Amino acid sequence: MRFDTVIIGGGLAGMTCGIRLAEAGRSCAIISQGQSALHFSSGSFDLLSKLPDGSDVQDPLEGIAALERTNPEHPYAVMGAERCERYAREAAELLRRAGISVAGDCRGNHFRITPMGKARATWLTIDGYLTAEAPDRLPFRKVCIANVEGFLDFYPEFIAEEFRKYGIECTFASVNLPDLEQIRQNPSEMRSANIARVFDHERNLVALAAQVRDAAAACDALILPAIIGLNRNDSLEVLRAKIPTPLYLLPTLPPSIPGIRAQQALQHRFRALGGEYFLGDSVLRAEYDGNSVKRIFTANHGNIPFEADHFVLATGSFFSRGLVATPDRIVEPVFGADTVATSDRSQWYTLRFFDRQNYQAFGVRTDAALHVVREGRAIGNLYGAGAGLAGFHPVQEGCGAGVSLLSALFAADEILNSHQS
Amino acid sequence: MNQTYDVIIIGGGATGAGIARDCSLRGIRSLLLERSDIATGATGRNHGLLHSGARYAVTDQESAKECIRENMILRRIAAHCVEETDGLFITLPEDGLEYQARFVEACRTAGIRTEILDPALARRLEPAANPALIGAVRVPDGAVDPFRLTSSNILDARAHGAEIRTYTEVRELLREQDRIVGVRVYDHRTHSEENCYARVVVNAGGIWGHGIAAKAGIVVNMLPAKGALLIFGHRVNRMVLNRCRKPADADILVPGDTISLIGTTSSKVPFDQIDNMIITPEEVDILLREGEKLSPQLATTRILRAYAGVRPLVASDDDPSGRTVSRGIVLLDHATRDGMEGFITITGGKLMTYRLMAEWATDLICRKIGSTEKCRTAEIPLPGSAEKREEVEKKIRHKPLTQRRSAISRHGALAEQIGDDSLGNSLVCECEEVSIGEVEYAMEHLAVNNLVDLRRRTRVGMGTCQGELCACRAAGLMGRRDAVCARKAKADLASFLNERWKGMQPIAWGDTLRESEYTTWVYEGVCGLSDEKTAAQ
Amino acid sequence: MNIQQNTVSENNFEQCIKCTVCTVYCPVAAVNPAFPGPKQAGPDGERLRLKQPDYFDAALKYCMNCKRCEVACPSNVRIGDIIQAARIKYGPQRNTSPRNFVLANTDLVGTLATPFAPIVNTAVALKPVRLVMDRVMGIDHRRVFPKYAHGTFTSWYRKHAAAAQEAFPRQVSYFHGCYVNYNNPQLGKDLIRIMNALEYGVRLLDREKCCGVALISNGLYKQARRQAETNLASIRTAVNDRKMDVITTSSTCTFTLRDEYPHVLDLGNEDVRDHIELATRYLYRLLQKNRGQLKFKDTTPLRVAYHTPCHMEKMGWAYYSIELLRMIPGVEVIVLDSQCCGIAGTYGFKKENYRTSQAVGEGLFRQIEASGADLVATDCETCKWQIEMSTSKRCEHPLSILASRLA
Repeated sequence: MRFDTVIIGGGLAGMTCGIRLAEAGRSCAIISQGQSALHFSSGSFDLLSKLPDGSDVQDPLEGIAALERTNPEHPYAVMGAERCERYAREAAELLRRAGISVAGDCRGNHFRITPMGKARATWLTIDGYLTAEAPDRLPFRKVCIANVEGFLDFYPEFIAEEFRKYGIECTFASVNLPDLEQIRQNPSEMRSANIARVFDHERNLVALAAQVRDAAAACDALILPAIIGLNRNDSLEVLRAKIPTPLYLLPTLPPSIPGIRAQQALQHRFRALGGEYFLGDSVLRAEYDGNSVKRIFTANHGNIPFEADHFVLATGSFFSRGLVATPDRIVEPVFGADTVATSDRSQWYTLRFFDRQNYQAFGVRTDAALHVVREGRAIGNLYGAGAGLAGFHPVQEGCGAGVSLLSALFAADEILNSHQS
Repeated sequence: MNQTYDVIIIGGGATGAGIARDCSLRGIRSLLLERSDIATGATGRNHGLLHSGARYAVTDQESAKECIRENMILRRIAAHCVEETDGLFITLPEDGLEYQARFVEACRTAGIRTEILDPALARRLEPAANPALIGAVRVPDGAVDPFRLTSSNILDARAHGAEIRTYTEVRELLREQDRIVGVRVYDHRTHSEENCYARVVVNAGGIWGHGIAAKAGIVVNMLPAKGALLIFGHRVNRMVLNRCRKPADADILVPGDTISLIGTTSSKVPFDQIDNMIITPEEVDILLREGEKLSPQLATTRILRAYAGVRPLVASDDDPSGRTVSRGIVLLDHATRDGMEGFITITGGKLMTYRLMAEWATDLICRKIGSTEKCRTAEIPLPGSAEKREEVEKKIRHKPLTQRRSAISRHGALAEQIGDDSLGNSLVCECEEVSIGEVEYAMEHLAVNNLVDLRRRTRVGMGTCQGELCACRAAGLMGRRDAVCARKAKADLASFLNERWKGMQPIAWGDTLRESEYTTWVYEGVCGLSDEKTAAQ
Repeated sequence: MNIQQNTVSENNFEQCIKCTVCTVYCPVAAVNPAFPGPKQAGPDGERLRLKQPDYFDAALKYCMNCKRCEVACPSNVRIGDIIQAARIKYGPQRNTSPRNFVLANTDLVGTLATPFAPIVNTAVALKPVRLVMDRVMGIDHRRVFPKYAHGTFTSWYRKHAAAAQEAFPRQVSYFHGCYVNYNNPQLGKDLIRIMNALEYGVRLLDREKCCGVALISNGLYKQARRQAETNLASIRTAVNDRKMDVITTSSTCTFTLRDEYPHVLDLGNEDVRDHIELATRYLYRLLQKNRGQLKFKDTTPLRVAYHTPCHMEKMGWAYYSIELLRMIPGVEVIVLDSQCCGIAGTYGFKKENYRTSQAVGEGLFRQIEASGADLVATDCETCKWQIEMSTSKRCEHPLSILASRLA
């Protein structure tokens, strides 16, 4: 099989890179080892919420400029503030073109509300999800928080507990339907995706509206967990048409409906542009031609290799096994690329779970153009993108999605420009 | 308000719980005080091995005899806490067979049934055992769940009138001349202090008993010996595996519930570190290196976590390994020993002999308060153990199969008390099959104050994911009642994740690190949780 | 000493980190609450079964073995294999209800039926007969059995093709499978026509038995293993002695021979696995290497919607069939979103599974109806039956479409 570019990894970074290249008319293949971390998404995309010293970031681009001075190893600093700004604007547009309608501004963070009711600074949030200009400036004074009876991955009481700190009055509503009773027969499958399937049926969506409508009547907002719209786009509109109270969604614990939808939207976009998407396969080895990758071999395709001019390593971090930790090493398993990590395991973490853990910033060594470095040498046609890059704390700094999106566009740009030259 | 009791028991380990039960069955009004939760000290931090006594037969006949006697008693009275797996003492080529003959003879003297197995038969009986073994002896070892055992004793004690107060710490021993008359306690939940009075105060604080005695100016010479263990992700072996040689590091592999445990190391620790057990990479290495000799499979089995307990050994010499110190039961009547009336210390011993220790202590209490009631704890089954598993199974047949079996294995006949409509059957913890009904039962009947307490009673968060999937669900259930509960439960959730991480951190590579990264995404990322000061603890 | 240097547990189920992704993609759990779901039935359940075998839950039989959980899993857990292996290890060891026996023994039943095909086909299509099969055997009356051919593929081959095939300079072996042999010999003939056009002769294996997929799903493991051994012996003769690759026209047979034999039946096949290949992939390779060219006659426009069968999705090979279809002049290919059709071989024929089966396939049927395609193409025979039973479209094998337009 021959393509212009083969991207290893089908998560946010891989998909974004693939879409960008396919939009430019390049033939691309994406090889993914399974579904991606988007399945645990919060419904928002962070660009930069905190600096490494823990201080809050209001203007992400300003924050990135600061990073350039203080943390030169950070992927944003490597890419440079100027290009980061360009890609941040492009990324939002790319998501919208894929049908993921997001709102937000790279010059000013807003706040997303978590399933625990916490407010967290973020960059882009998918339409329909509750956001606020500031943690204490929620768009209501009296809110009704609804949940599906027996659904354990959403916490109205925890949310109310946070809201009440800001003097917001909270009431609760509970939803139940015969079709939900059906799922409940199974002790483990009362999960967001299975519930969302129930509400993909028009009659259940209508019944949901009827059940929460009255409870919400006396409130100035209604909150629902993200358990609607798995396979249809209009669920929120249908509900809003039937419920006069303003309606907002909040994310749940995994699986994440907004994440699954985003993944599907990106996949559809990529395929519609002619991209080939290989799910459930893993890359086993590569063959090189001097300083470039010539072809890669996968588990599924055996003796038929993937050949390409360019390759992108977007395999993620530990979760998706883009990085593998042995007791004394951090390994990049596909190319055996060099990694940025300490070998002394006692330096990888601290005793407190919520501390900034060093291992989270481990990653693949790259050069200034994000070429992957192997045995001390940059590989000319292999780019790193996404969570597998080194030098940042995706969760603590609130920059995981941003690094994925921006580095993917950076890599795509490098590939497109190298063709021109 | 100041309360008066016949006896105050300090320490909510197996021994303290056993004394509370024994006292209450003999009609003695008792108060048990525990500074944290039940079974948090050495009781909950060992192998969970139902010793046959074979391990001690060669070196300590007295302990061996106590063990086999108690072993048989526990099978009767605590059937739902015990798994009758039997054990093998295997001889590896490097050990040589000389020890086996001595071992078998010593077991015979102690009254421990042994059966020398042909190596081929041993390999077939226990495929996980090192196939290089050149000899094997079968003994009546088993597994015992220390949490369940302690919890059942507590339940029975309470049912017979004992008062149990967890998260209540003894700050002072109240003294009138040469007599201890009570204790001053601090309640960690209400943040208040009060005095409690009794005719006898029992120090059953395990290694912490050293400090308790010191409050009365009494020196009980203890040697804190740290023992580290590793928990493997699933049940590797069917039978308990021991090395047939002089007891040493990491030579016992115990199958317990869904997992297997290897241990222990042994090292001396200073008293100021007994509340701060940290597992070192060297300890992990020793456990794996020696563990692989018992069962080579351990090399390629996922490790869930590491932890350590502190043995409450009473020092008779200053052997640094802490192994040749007597593990015998030590009952000190401070009236005769130190001229201090109304105060006794029970220590030494081991989980296996908790009941016997309780019996000795209660006998002494009876003498002091003039009771002639006889001990009945060896005859009366603990709550949950009176009915046969099959009978219980019939009564809750409509529960989903895996959930039903799991609930019975944890609660015995008390599983019947777990509610079971379709809502209640929903799983909170999917690894260990803990349902909403079980969590609610534990919260209502088993004195649960926080998620860690809940874990001890139900195994929530003890499975492969170490709480990643279930911690927030359980916290959600605990926070459902009112706003105060919600705030507490949320803070509690953060501290639960810290507690889980503490055990994962020493072995956080491979899939465990993947799991931790994922947990970080979910809790810090999606949920926006951060470290918060906890209300309890 | 090996201090877990490899970091990967040999117990594949321990790689599961409870991310719940598989539960999103299980077609059965979505519609049938009696099935515990892939996570519970697979890695979670395995841990409990290792604790004590009586934690085995008979509801594992509802798993269709579609492997979509495995494709979705980010941790490479072989969830479907774990479930199938558990059924073998802990499930009922004798499962010989007459219904399961008939459904599983495609070989035997096919052999008995083909000589009397006109009678059998008419009889099993009759409403009263279907009602009796429903009542007595538990085969759903709404199901129509695929028609038997009058005479098998192999007997045709021996009489009319064998001699000519030997004359070709290059040779490949063909594992035709039960469907081609008893129901659709035409597909086998189509393959021969295409291969001959590329100057390859098509040979049969010395002995071929049903690949055993239906035996496995119906609990007849011993028989499945016996048949697998026979097939592997024949394949080894072809590959090792005659230096011929073995190709098939069924994605499920291919998957069973390549992956289920080692993973579920515990029969090693590493020595020949790479030589067992789907015909479309084999053709793709030949054409890529410019080994011959196909000439087409019929170029009338045709809109074909390609459906990716579950086992094809698992193998990741739909690409080759799709590329092959795209190569045919006049053919416009619409690639349907990969979704299970719900039939899962014999699963959907069982009365107790009928509703689950149709509910699973519902999304696919809607896609097909909305596609505006003239024809559906797929590499799996049971998907074809299900699509033809449940939609208004005809469904063909990609090679049959290709052959029909050859010059």
